[in-house]
Amino acid sequence: MLESFLSLIHTWLIAPFSYSFMERALVASMALSLAAPPLGVFLMLRGMSLIGDAMSHAILPGVALGFLLAGFSLPAMSLGGMLSGLLVAVMAGSVSQLTGHREDSAMASFFLISLAGGVMLVSLGGSSVDLTHVLFGSILAVDSTALLLIAAISTLIVIILAVIFRALVVECLDPLFLRGQGIKGGMVHGVFLGLVVLNLTAGFQTLGTLMAVGLMMLPATTARFWSTRLEGLMVLSVLIALVASSGGLLLSYHLSLPSGPAIILLAGCAYLLSALFGRHHSLTARLRRRATPLSNSLDH
Amino acid sequence: MSRLQLKDLQLARGGRTVLEHLEGHFQDAAITALIGANGAGKSTLIQAIMGTLTPVNGHIECQVPAVRRAWLPQQLALDLSFPMSVEELIMTGTWPSHGAFLGYCGAHYRRGRDIMQRLGISHLAHRPLGELSGGQRQRALIGRTLMQEAELLLLDEPFANVDIDTVEVLMDVLREMASEGATIIVVLHDMEQLARLADDVLILTEGHGRWASPDILVDRHTGQLSRPPRLPLTFPGSV
Repeated sequence: MLESFLSLIHTWLIAPFSYSFMERALVASMALSLAAPPLGVFLMLRGMSLIGDAMSHAILPGVALGFLLAGFSLPAMSLGGMLSGLLVAVMAGSVSQLTGHREDSAMASFFLISLAGGVMLVSLGGSSVDLTHVLFGSILAVDSTALLLIAAISTLIVIILAVIFRALVVECLDPLFLRGQGIKGGMVHGVFLGLVVLNLTAGFQTLGTLMAVGLMMLPATTARFWSTRLEGLMVLSVLIALVASSGGLLLSYHLSLPSGPAIILLAGCAYLLSALFGRHHSLTARLRRRATPLSNSLDH
Repeated sequence: MSRLQLKDLQLARGGRTVLEHLEGHFQDAAITALIGANGAGKSTLIQAIMGTLTPVNGHIECQVPAVRRAWLPQQLALDLSFPMSVEELIMTGTWPSHGAFLGYCGAHYRRGRDIMQRLGISHLAHRPLGELSGGQRQRALIGRTLMQEAELLLLDEPFANVDIDTVEVLMDVLREMASEGATIIVVLHDMEQLARLADDVLILTEGHGRWASPDILVDRHTGQLSRPPRLPLTFPGSV
């Protein structure tokens, strides 16, 4: 009985990863799961949950240009994506500063321009299959170079995030205090946006430019239903991302589903369940909540 | 000599001069009240002292290093939905001495606890900021400046929307900080609080500054406020 149970577990959960493409996919998604959710937590806490989405459009023209110039080379595409992402972020920032236009509308405009430009470039240079690849990724085609790049970028993100962590926390909470300390809030903000772009470039190969945001935001928004503390949010969101990405890979293996959407949909299920049954701010938490009596000693 | 001096200062906002020919010095180890009608330039002056607004003319001589200057704005841009507890907020005050990268040690936490006890918010240590009342929040923010060991403290109407007990606690703490050598500047509207707290007064009116003693606001014979606590005030010789 026990033996058959163990062999079932082996067949379902472990055996798939004996294939080297699955193994690489697992390591890649694990690396992304460590770096992306903490960024998502900060985006969410700063009320910028949709910026990640917008940013993902911004890296598209660079990726496409890299593809056109160097063919299907991951370093070239990543570098292009990183550059165009940063360029768009800087341009949106400076247009809003120079013209007094609100930053979110400047960003929206630039992201739409880049999305259209990116799709145009991809279509000029390749077939629709390439476009699908860039937009939705293919985690099962991650080679060693890609794996190395993803791991390196993820490590860099975690390290830089640790360095600017306290500044970032203070900037979210009380930007004036940070300015009083002689640190320009804009600098911290800029480095943080740079990390978001970096993370999206690491993610586009595996999940595609559009799906990469999912691994960043969904674990963070899910964790919000379970913890009210920053550390709790960080740890929980990483755990959720790890489970979602390994689970999503297994689902895609057993049921022949596309891997990126499987991972994101699994995280999406966690979000929906948490919205219903989570400890804080969820639907059931709302219904369950009763006012606690002041104190038993206050009898009257 | 005073650590904070104003030298022929001219400040403008959006191309309009708010204050000009501002001269004088703020006393060390004392509390200076900053009073004036709405729009008289109190917040503008505070921003200039904090270094976030560049003077059009003249300059501010401040010998207090930037990390020892603390600023408690009136409507604090504090994001209350941010998941942070009172203790964590107070601990961010270690930044100036401790830097942004190092972790906190036991001594920091002990000092944090002492500060919370001093302010009567020990029982709120782990309460999220979003669940605090106005008075509790103000105590926590003062706690951060205590942690920061601020030598120059600027407060913009610290007693607005704050309960009476908190006003008493905060006044004691401010007096104590001043007696330990801090230069404190407080924007006040309440003349009674001013009479109790201030050692010196800077009145901003019609674009100019006028230094005065707080005695001028209190009738020497009766000990009562000599004029209704209403602004703008006019003083002998000001017209």
